[in-house]
Amino acid sequence: MALLQISEPGGITTQTERKRAVGIDLGTTNSLVAARCGDSVETLPDSQGRHLLPSVVRYLPEGQPALTGYQALDGLLTDPLNTIVSVKRLLGKNGDEISDNSSFLTGRFVVDQTNDALVITTVAGDKQPLEVSADILRVLSERAESYLSGPLDGVVITVPAYFNDAQRQQTRDAARLAGLKVLRLLNEPTSAAVAYGLDSGDQGNVVVFDLGGGTFDVSILSLQKGVFQVLATGGDTNLGGDDFDDKLAQWILEQSGANSELDPGERNALLHLARQMKHDLSEKDPIDVSYADWSGSLDNEQYARITANLIDRTIKVCRRVLRDAKLSIAQINNIVLVGGATRMPVIRNQVQKLFQREPLVSIDPDKVVAIGAGIQADVLIGNKTADSFLLLDVNPLSLGIETMGELVEKIIPRNTTIPVARTQEFTTYKDGQTVMLIHVLQGERELVSDCRSLARFEVRGIPPMVAGAAKIRVTFQIDADGLLSVDAKELSTGTSTRIQVKPSYGLGSNEIENMLKESQENAQSDMKARALKESLIEAEQLLEALESAIAVDGDLLTDDEALKLSEAGAALKKALQTENSREIHRLTEKLNGASEGFAAKRMDVQIVDALRGESIDTMSQDGK
Amino acid sequence: MLLQNKNFFQIFSIPEAYDLDPVLLAENYRELQAQVHPDRFANASEAEKLQAVKSTSVLNDAYETLRSPQGRAAHLLQLRDVDVSKVSQSDLSPALLFEQIQLREELEDIPRDEKSLNKLDHMRKQIEEKVRDCQKLFVKNSNTGQLLRAKSNYYEMQYLFKLLSDMDAIEEDLLGY
Repeated sequence: MALLQISEPGGITTQTERKRAVGIDLGTTNSLVAARCGDSVETLPDSQGRHLLPSVVRYLPEGQPALTGYQALDGLLTDPLNTIVSVKRLLGKNGDEISDNSSFLTGRFVVDQTNDALVITTVAGDKQPLEVSADILRVLSERAESYLSGPLDGVVITVPAYFNDAQRQQTRDAARLAGLKVLRLLNEPTSAAVAYGLDSGDQGNVVVFDLGGGTFDVSILSLQKGVFQVLATGGDTNLGGDDFDDKLAQWILEQSGANSELDPGERNALLHLARQMKHDLSEKDPIDVSYADWSGSLDNEQYARITANLIDRTIKVCRRVLRDAKLSIAQINNIVLVGGATRMPVIRNQVQKLFQREPLVSIDPDKVVAIGAGIQADVLIGNKTADSFLLLDVNPLSLGIETMGELVEKIIPRNTTIPVARTQEFTTYKDGQTVMLIHVLQGERELVSDCRSLARFEVRGIPPMVAGAAKIRVTFQIDADGLLSVDAKELSTGTSTRIQVKPSYGLGSNEIENMLKESQENAQSDMKARALKESLIEAEQLLEALESAIAVDGDLLTDDEALKLSEAGAALKKALQTENSREIHRLTEKLNGASEGFAAKRMDVQIVDALRGESIDTMSQDGK
Repeated sequence: MLLQNKNFFQIFSIPEAYDLDPVLLAENYRELQAQVHPDRFANASEAEKLQAVKSTSVLNDAYETLRSPQGRAAHLLQLRDVDVSKVSQSDLSPALLFEQIQLREELEDIPRDEKSLNKLDHMRKQIEEKVRDCQKLFVKNSNTGQLLRAKSNYYEMQYLFKLLSDMDAIEEDLLGY
């Protein structure tokens, strides 16, 4: 609880029970969940001791529950149309963008014409990609809940650093659908750096090279005194281990001269063979290969040639990110490898050659992201008070708006530290114009058609004036999760509009509500109990925090403010007896609102104190 | 709200001057981040979260501005009530414009192939030298209250930095990034 944190920055001593917070790595091919176990944060196994959960969901007919993970794997061969893999590649994508990925996908896709959202047709009905993700998240959260013996208080979910706004939004929505409270979306490379950085207590610059199943990220971080600052990040959301399998599969078809017209089951079998070969090449060189009635062999050198194009793409991204970070190779102190695909010798060799340094691999590259997320979750929920650290991340893609001639004007350039807010003033171009259309885009290119459309919205009710006289100030805010919100204000009348950004992709928030309702109806009583418990915890935390804050800083309040706070507090306390979760929630929000000004005042005091302690000393040391 | 204070130097408790200690600035920035960053409020009320996002945004903006040689100059002028967003003809001397046009032409004349990387590098050093000269003049003029001249120095800086960033783009193109 923040108010409490402010009053006792040294640590919460009265804590009675550890809160349950976990980190989830929602991967393209595999997913994991990690939590604090004693002194260290570890990934949690299933009942059979397996840590990885294959990110595969198989839907079954007639109301049977879906199969997930290892149970669903058989379906890839026997029931490919109802077995969904690599769903992460579909999150936040629209119909056009999917064709790039088509070779990895099983199942039947339909593009919803009304909102350009993608739907997968299964025997259990139409599924949105985020519903499939939510099914995977549910299994992981159940695993964690049984391990930690109780409901989760919050989760940190990792996303590729290079994920755009749409992909982040959908990840958050998937978590909401799975009934999880997201403390933070954490970028995967940052998470890996946390897993490594905290142990070593190192200072310096770290490159994280993260090649997962379907995405590729490179981030450069500077570590100093418990602050992890991302200097630059780059990547490719359509490049991963799957692409290496695909290249190998093509090679097998060419070499064997086998029929390349495959049905979905045969295709999955071929990809499975290719994946196995890729794994074997990390252990053995050369390997024997056989497919249909053909047999041959393959060594890593040949493999490097087959995949040269993919490897080049990763190296190019590394150079680009170094440049963005304004660092030379000599200034890099460590390389961290993340993602199962970095086990490939062809990748390790190239990375080592580029950075002229042996990469760190002491933590399992499959688990390192989840472990970092688990550490961060523990800190965010407020469990860990000693050697607390801070992550300063950046936005991976530039944010801009459409201007005349279908051009994009950048408003927030890529690699700006988030959260960030920028304002821009717009004016009308016609006499008497009362409506203005603003189109927000993400990407590095100059033409609108080359960037990702995030949102289009209208500013209405502009008073009619001559062209160029009206002034509309638009504020773009990117929060710590990398998500965008927009505010517009018409300056001549001073009317402020909080703009509902209608996403150009996927779901509106009503649709999420509806899906949430449906899923709640399936497990209603369970959810009701949970909602009540959550609202009680939330209310009690707020009351407790506020009381201790008033005890310390009560003198900052005017009499009127103090009265309002105590009234709102009393109303909430009374509601706690009613077991009405909605009412408790409403009154909690009300008390929250009433404490807003108090929070701001306390933060000011805190800042002044912080600077008084540190910077004045430092300045006088400089002799000024 | 303290962080809504428009004087960025005060936010970081550093002297209001163009020449600053980047290490001290970075240290104070991290110190403040540790107080206001939304991660410190992950489990807090929505009101506090929103407050933290706003405060951190201001802090990041202030840090970026002061860290950037151009941003810092613009900010110092703004603090002295000089509006740099409006350029008038008198701010730009014909000599300055002429020099900029020459530099632009020089850049245009460099052939776009990999052999030109050295030429680009050479030109970059030359421009960086000009930037340093310009910064010295800016400091002198702003300290002695010759704000119109300082404003003109600022615009020259802006031209030069734009030139440098265009050179970066050309280089990236040549290197195929």
